[in-house]
Amino acid sequence: MIKLIKLEWKKNNIGKYVIGAFILAACLCLFLFALAFLGIAEDPDGTLDAAEGMNLISAPVEMFTSIAFLIFTCVMLSSFIVSAYKNKTMNLMFSYPIKRQKILASQMIAVWLFSFIALTAAKLLVYGCIFIGSRNMRSPFIIDFQMGSLSFYIQLLMKSAVLVSMSFIALFVGIALKSSKATVVASFLLIFLTQANVGDFSLADHALFPVILTIASVVFAALSVFHAETKDLL
Amino acid sequence: MPDILQTNRLTKTIDGRDLVKNVNIHVKKGEIYGFLGPNGAGKTTVMKMITNLWKPTAGEVLLFGKRLTHSSYEELKRMGIMIEFPSFYEHMSGTDNLQLHCEYMGYYTPGSVENALEMLGLSDAAKKPVKSYSLGMKQRLGIARSILCKPELLVLDEPTNGLDPAGIKQIRELFRMLCTEYGITIMISSHMLSEVESIADTIGVIHQGTMRKEISMRDISERNTAYIELAVGDSGKAAYILADQLGLEHFKVLDGRQIRIYEAGIDTNEIARALAVQGAEIRAIGAKAENLEDYFLKLTEGGARP
Repeated sequence: MIKLIKLEWKKNNIGKYVIGAFILAACLCLFLFALAFLGIAEDPDGTLDAAEGMNLISAPVEMFTSIAFLIFTCVMLSSFIVSAYKNKTMNLMFSYPIKRQKILASQMIAVWLFSFIALTAAKLLVYGCIFIGSRNMRSPFIIDFQMGSLSFYIQLLMKSAVLVSMSFIALFVGIALKSSKATVVASFLLIFLTQANVGDFSLADHALFPVILTIASVVFAALSVFHAETKDLL
Repeated sequence: MPDILQTNRLTKTIDGRDLVKNVNIHVKKGEIYGFLGPNGAGKTTVMKMITNLWKPTAGEVLLFGKRLTHSSYEELKRMGIMIEFPSFYEHMSGTDNLQLHCEYMGYYTPGSVENALEMLGLSDAAKKPVKSYSLGMKQRLGIARSILCKPELLVLDEPTNGLDPAGIKQIRELFRMLCTEYGITIMISSHMLSEVESIADTIGVIHQGTMRKEISMRDISERNTAYIELAVGDSGKAAYILADQLGLEHFKVLDGRQIRIYEAGIDTNEIARALAVQGAEIRAIGAKAENLEDYFLKLTEGGARP
């Protein structure tokens, strides 16, 4: 299985995505640092232009990294799997003496692992920069995380895992419609579902919501894999 | 000899339409099987079912004597496949694509990649990315990939698509060589008869989703009468000589200049000598067999009319 995953990375030119993830992380870091310390979120009178509950620095950090990496993951999934169906390399893959479920699972895990590591690293980078900045600079946001505590890291890992898994929902749509565009569009819809708020109500705050989403993701991932063995490859 | 590949009443129905119906194929070990049919006859459909990409609606495929199911992975290992146009990882080089194939097939024999590229004349382009390849080169690389892991059975769907005449000839010789020297059984589909005629041991003709005929080439050449075609200056005189001097009965005067001799056991030399001795003018003389094309047309014509 590990070998299959490595081959997937090699085949799909993983270097390209490493560079992409780096650029994305650097941009996010720059933007969020500016947001925290350089006053781009402030009103002219110096007070923070943010709704109640959004004046914690972790809120924009989580939101922007999530949005960016959810799209990133979906783009990756669409080029690893959906376009493999489209340009018929899947025909080739399925003629190998390897279980089809295993092939699909290896592709999904290859993307999942990469995105998970990239997202975690990016978040650590952003939080780290803000943490260092907060020692010398004044921020209108409340710095509400503690780099020293274990629970911070556990939360960070869990949130990353849930978010990256969510992209499997978009993948399912993409495979069903055989369209890379559909995958990416579905990822945008997922963002609206999870990050948007109406008034002060947001699904993102609900404790149950991540659990439901994770379950849904796993179900959709299983659905994507399940029928591969007996279905015709058109 | 046992059949290495056999299908029994293989049927595929998609959306209520029978793409192929009750197809029975028998491929013997060590032969080249030409799978013939006009466009849309169902060749690719059958081959997709043989290679497990599609599942049959009814009937079964027997590979190496075993029934093909959705978990027949061991059988896939012993086959080399090229269905439709071969697909590659375009940004990778030819060598890398083949190496990747070896990894997935679990085949590690040093030098096999270079060897396969060499056989198909792709050594010069081996390091270039596949996206820079021409259509014919991709086709060659596809063939290289299918023979890479020394399969026992090769299933190739229109392998000479996009190749130039010299390339077609080269590929044909390669298939012959693989068959005789390595004992690989080869199944080739084609809509071009001339392509299969010269190398196949057995042909199967499929038309509108049903198998029309499965026959060995030897039987065809025996069944379809050979004749000698004679072009002469004066057919009347020549006909007289043929009947009088050589005692031939089965010949036909086509027009003023052409005669066809259907007599068995007569040699062109003998005829030429007799005619020359009697001073009849010979413009051309040659032995002809009714070729596969005529036979093929006969087989598919009936079904073409509703």
